[in-house]
Amino acid sequence: MADLVGVFAASHTPVMLNFPDAVSEQDRTAVYEEFTKLGTAIAATEPTSVIVISDDHLHNFFLDNFPAFCIGAADTYQSPAEHWLKVDKHTLAGDTALSAHLLGEALQAGFDPAFSMQLTLDHGVLTPLVLAGLSRQVAVVPLLVNCVQPPLPTMKRCLQWGRLLRDAIRSYSRPDRIAILATGGISHDVATPRMGMVNEIFDRQFLHLLGANDDEELASYAAEHVNEAGNGAEEIRNWLIAHGAAAGCRFEVQFYRPLPSWYTGIGLARWHVAPQ
Amino acid sequence: MSKSISRNWQQYMPTPQAYWIDRILFDVHHKPGHLEQYRSDPDAYMREIPLPAEVKALVRDNQIGAMYLAGANPYLLRAHCLGLRIPEATFLASLRAVAAEVSRG
Repeated sequence: MADLVGVFAASHTPVMLNFPDAVSEQDRTAVYEEFTKLGTAIAATEPTSVIVISDDHLHNFFLDNFPAFCIGAADTYQSPAEHWLKVDKHTLAGDTALSAHLLGEALQAGFDPAFSMQLTLDHGVLTPLVLAGLSRQVAVVPLLVNCVQPPLPTMKRCLQWGRLLRDAIRSYSRPDRIAILATGGISHDVATPRMGMVNEIFDRQFLHLLGANDDEELASYAAEHVNEAGNGAEEIRNWLIAHGAAAGCRFEVQFYRPLPSWYTGIGLARWHVAPQ
Repeated sequence: MSKSISRNWQQYMPTPQAYWIDRILFDVHHKPGHLEQYRSDPDAYMREIPLPAEVKALVRDNQIGAMYLAGANPYLLRAHCLGLRIPEATFLASLRAVAAEVSRG
């Protein structure tokens, strides 16, 4: 039986790669060091694969066909999708057996994900993996959540997806070690008149509620206040999936800093899951 | 939620007009050769697109704030500006100039 060996979350804004000098050296160094720590922590779980919960920023999906949830099922993934992202081209390894298992379990449980056997993954997956030093070291299974084009899936549904992931990992017959990395957020606006606004109050309350063991309150807060935190904050859906998968295990904020010059409240966190 | 707070999205369901603006922004940066075609003659590139001339002009003239108000997906808008190497200050100023006109509540 597979083990869920780690659950992590981190911001993924591409400005960390594209505009490194927009923030002070002190801030930049601090953020990069925290990503290195994250990479060390993930590597320490010795994962067979990492389920990366992110969103496709309209590269693979467009308004002619936009899934609310899509599980990647390829053996490899090219990245990045963006010709403007300042990072080396990558070929990320996939895990088709785990993808197939997650798809099957989701459908059996009454969820209806799309799947794709050809995805070119964007900064949402690649940026945190690169900064964590893991981009050429781990196999990934992407779970792409629509956080970028309304109508969007509900916050509650994302918590349910997390519980589904946990159950699916438990039922996986292979002796694999599976980690989860949710990416995106926290507060930020992309291409709106508010761009550059960071809502530190929202971010800190959201992080507080992730540790408060009250999923009802967490989902309500997320739904009712996300408009105060920017369209990029819609990516807290990915964090909620991770939270659902962690199923009440202790939550720890590794790092948080509001960085308006990077347009984002940068957060990194983990849930202390213990292998079953 | 207070009616005075800006919403995250101009449209909770894209209009057909927003779809076609997005179609242009997506194709220019994802289809081989389209960025070069667009750069060389944006009017010709958009000729078959079913949008009014004044909306095509917003795209051609990089009226970022106006495209945002018209419902362009913000991520496509951001990527378009990065792809066209529009200066960051110009990009932000165009958006901030329309702050009073955004959807609220």
